[in-house]
Amino acid sequence: MLSPKVRHWALLAAFSAAFIVLLSNTGWWETMLRFLFTQETQVIYPSANLLVLMGEHLRLVLVSSAFTILIGVPLGTWVTRRSGQKFLPIVNGLTSIGQTFPPVAVLALAVPLFGFGLVPTVIALFLYGLLPVVRNTIAGLRAVPGDVLDAAYGLGMNRWQALFRIEIPLAARVILAGVRISVVINVGTAMIGAVIGAGGLGAPIIAGLVQFNTAYVIEGALPAALLAVLLDQVLASIEKSFAYSASERKS
Amino acid sequence: MIRLEHVTKKYGDVIAVNDFSLEVSRGEVCVLIGPSGCGKTTTLRMINRLIEPTSGRIFVNGDDISQIKPERLRQSIGYAIQSVGLFPHMTVAANIAVVPELLGWRKERIARRTEELLRLVGLNPKEYAGKYVSQLSGGEAQRIGVARALAADPPLLLMDEPFGAVDPLTRQRLQTQFVRIQQELKKTIILVTHDLDEAIRMADRIAIMQAGRLVQYDTPEVILSKPANKFVLDFVGTDRALKRLSRIGIGKFVKPAPSVKADASIREVMLAIGGCHSVWVLDEDDRPIGWIDAASIHKEATVGELIVRGDTDEISVVNYATLRDALSRMLGLGFKCIPVVDERKRFIGEITLGDVEAATVEVEENHA
Repeated sequence: MLSPKVRHWALLAAFSAAFIVLLSNTGWWETMLRFLFTQETQVIYPSANLLVLMGEHLRLVLVSSAFTILIGVPLGTWVTRRSGQKFLPIVNGLTSIGQTFPPVAVLALAVPLFGFGLVPTVIALFLYGLLPVVRNTIAGLRAVPGDVLDAAYGLGMNRWQALFRIEIPLAARVILAGVRISVVINVGTAMIGAVIGAGGLGAPIIAGLVQFNTAYVIEGALPAALLAVLLDQVLASIEKSFAYSASERKS
Repeated sequence: MIRLEHVTKKYGDVIAVNDFSLEVSRGEVCVLIGPSGCGKTTTLRMINRLIEPTSGRIFVNGDDISQIKPERLRQSIGYAIQSVGLFPHMTVAANIAVVPELLGWRKERIARRTEELLRLVGLNPKEYAGKYVSQLSGGEAQRIGVARALAADPPLLLMDEPFGAVDPLTRQRLQTQFVRIQQELKKTIILVTHDLDEAIRMADRIAIMQAGRLVQYDTPEVILSKPANKFVLDFVGTDRALKRLSRIGIGKFVKPAPSVKADASIREVMLAIGGCHSVWVLDEDDRPIGWIDAASIHKEATVGELIVRGDTDEISVVNYATLRDALSRMLGLGFKCIPVVDERKRFIGEITLGDVEAATVEVEENHA
């Protein structure tokens, strides 16, 4: 008998495979959309097939999330250290602005500087996704009990050893929860990339809105929603593997 | 082994530790005690440089610790704290292995040492090595905290209320166990507590602190019999004589006493009791399960009718208990004598109220 953990991951892999098969069969989509929208003459977005759009979309999400994590986690860690403590309010403020500033406005400002396409979209998504990662990194590290840290230093760990052996592992769950929120938000927000030619699943949605073709909108929105759910599940499973108390491990 | 010279710690205008000097010799248990806020924990934390003194010097093994890298110093000093501070994401074995790993020991050596330490603190390695902290009781966690502090076999141990976070009964058991471990290991220990009974039970010397200053530094016997001033007198309380009894083991006061097995005949009982006023009744494993009064014995009765039953744990004391334990047990039960058992609860003799009284008088005379 397989362990529940292995079964869980096998299940996720099976869902991902089914998802890819579903995307690559344009015929199925056409049949379904034609059934729903009988009066439309054209129900499938003609410029690119779903797999290509999904690939572009994933690239936007993954590249921007990679930047968010690579910059957000160290930034959140730094402001909880003695050397960066002074900058905590500034970092908190700036990441809040990043989240409250509409990504569309970021695009409008970024296009004159970086042109059209991938770069301005990634910048907008990066800024938008930074807040949950930074906030959760700070919260996770702050929640490490003082007596545990006292013991770590008292046993002779230096600051780096305490950070990497004790603090980060104990904060991992909270940090990963922030990453999960950030990634899922970005799957939705990455739609706006289509406005400035970065492609992705936003392309059929924009086209659908412009041409009043609801079938196009569904063709972009449904796979994006499924992608968000799938990524959420995968990240939640990674998060769970960092449980360290008995009750958490069981759940 | 450890010497503090005119150590002072100020936080702004507040003086936490004030011109504190102390010397602890190798193999000695020194207990720092005083009311909360007296600076005892601050003093302890200055010895492994978790806190830096404002002025004064501290020597460990003759070396000025301000010249030693803090991490290296701490790796060479055991450290156990009240809240234990075990790492919840690691197993018990990994927790104990922290310092050996920092010191770069080989894997097999760490595994061997972990097993040895779990045994030392009385936990089965097979059962406990793979457990997580959340699966432990408070007493088990504190024992593992102590095992972790002992991991790299440091000659010096700093302990901040290491048995503070458990119920009184467990605490006393842990203290007794630790005293026995210490007799074997002969570490130099500085222990912080606010529990005078703990100090008396464990200390070779007690350092009493008040408002950052050292008020009296001496053996528990002297502190109890000759308090240096009113503060110490109030601190040790009016039951000093009683407290002194907890420095004395009952071992040398145990006397042989008549006993019979539960299945003995009435003739055997009468033979055993001789001129005594009672006889202890033991079960097949030699555990005391009650007694028979001489006055109640008559020829027609059976042992079963005459026996006054009692629970072994309640009516007896263990041979490594103190006179104070024995006395409070006797007063609690209203007995003039109680049976003494060994670790496996087997009867070895009895101790009487008269013996305790005589010991008290002796102690008084020695320190008068």
